[in-house]
Amino acid sequence: MEKKANFTEQGFELAHLINVQQNPDRNQEYQRQKRDSLAARLRSGDRTAATELVDLYYEQIYLYMRRLGHNHQESEDLTQESFLNAWRHIGQLQDGKALNGWLYRIAGNVSRYHWRRQKGRKTVSIEEFDVADSNADDTNKAVYNEQLERLENAIAKLPMKLRQTVVLHYLQNLALTEAAQAAGVRQGTFKSRLSRALKVLRKNID
Amino acid sequence: MEEERLKQLLNKLPERMSEPVRPGFTEDIKAQIPQQLRLHKMGMDTINIIIDLRISRLAAAAAIIVTIILCAHFFGLRESTGGEIIQAIEYFLAGEQAGRSGMLADMKVVCEEMVKEGKEVVYYGASADLANRFEVLMYWKLPDGKYRVIFSDLSIATVSSDMLILLQSHMLQERKQK
Repeated sequence: MEKKANFTEQGFELAHLINVQQNPDRNQEYQRQKRDSLAARLRSGDRTAATELVDLYYEQIYLYMRRLGHNHQESEDLTQESFLNAWRHIGQLQDGKALNGWLYRIAGNVSRYHWRRQKGRKTVSIEEFDVADSNADDTNKAVYNEQLERLENAIAKLPMKLRQTVVLHYLQNLALTEAAQAAGVRQGTFKSRLSRALKVLRKNID
Repeated sequence: MEEERLKQLLNKLPERMSEPVRPGFTEDIKAQIPQQLRLHKMGMDTINIIIDLRISRLAAAAAIIVTIILCAHFFGLRESTGGEIIQAIEYFLAGEQAGRSGMLADMKVVCEEMVKEGKEVVYYGASADLANRFEVLMYWKLPDGKYRVIFSDLSIATVSSDMLILLQSHMLQERKQK
């Protein structure tokens, strides 16, 4: 059955290559179909689909944890815990459209439980990112970097819910619908949190 | 700072707040993929219903309490006082006894099935003292004349008729002392 699924997937990839060459606009549709196919295979218990899910998301989830304020080691542990929870709750995955929201929601819950366990023992991590060198010229670089650093610090100081909102939408680049689903709130609530977060950030940076 | 500028900076931030992931990390995760991915059965128990409905913690706590009260009423605590029900809830919330209320209910169903099959079953579940680990919840006679006993800590033992009498008298003594 697994072999059959692989074969179908390979056929699907080949069809996509031909389609994209003929019509690049179909790429979005292809991505949607690929996510649907992955979700369906996960739900059918296909282990190779689980491997693909890890390949697709491990870096995103790790960075999500880092951006939420966890240090290197914690982020690795929490990423692994998120995937373990994902395997356990695979039945809650409905379709490909919900894949992002589903996995990010699990990761968000794992992070939240971690903070709750650490409550009173630890504050938000200030471990810095291993930032790559910027290509901007020296004059603008200093001002630009300073603004970014202030913004980074301001995000770290946001209350958890607002921080998660900003991270999901701006840093993880999730669409509003997906980000709201990941945060476990309605889209309206998410928008209102986002606007509140931006207001606080503007105030704290000035 | 203007909102547009803030959004511009926010859009640049992912690049800054990025770092390479430790080599081999993905393999560590993949090694934990279970051999068989099993679907979580939605709505099979109270906790899963709460997870699936995504309701708040307060509503979840209320739902658990209401479920316990309903179960207690349904499975033999109809005549019990409010105090006893509250005690059962306290047991549940204390965590130590978590799951036992459900087990008792299941056991009663099993007991009824066994009676229907013509077995000699005695069930004390509804009145059993869960705090006493030697309390007998239920027993039935085996073909060889011995008895199969389920205790309040859910351990199971096969005992002789003499031992069963001893256990029952111990239960009575404990109750009298209380």
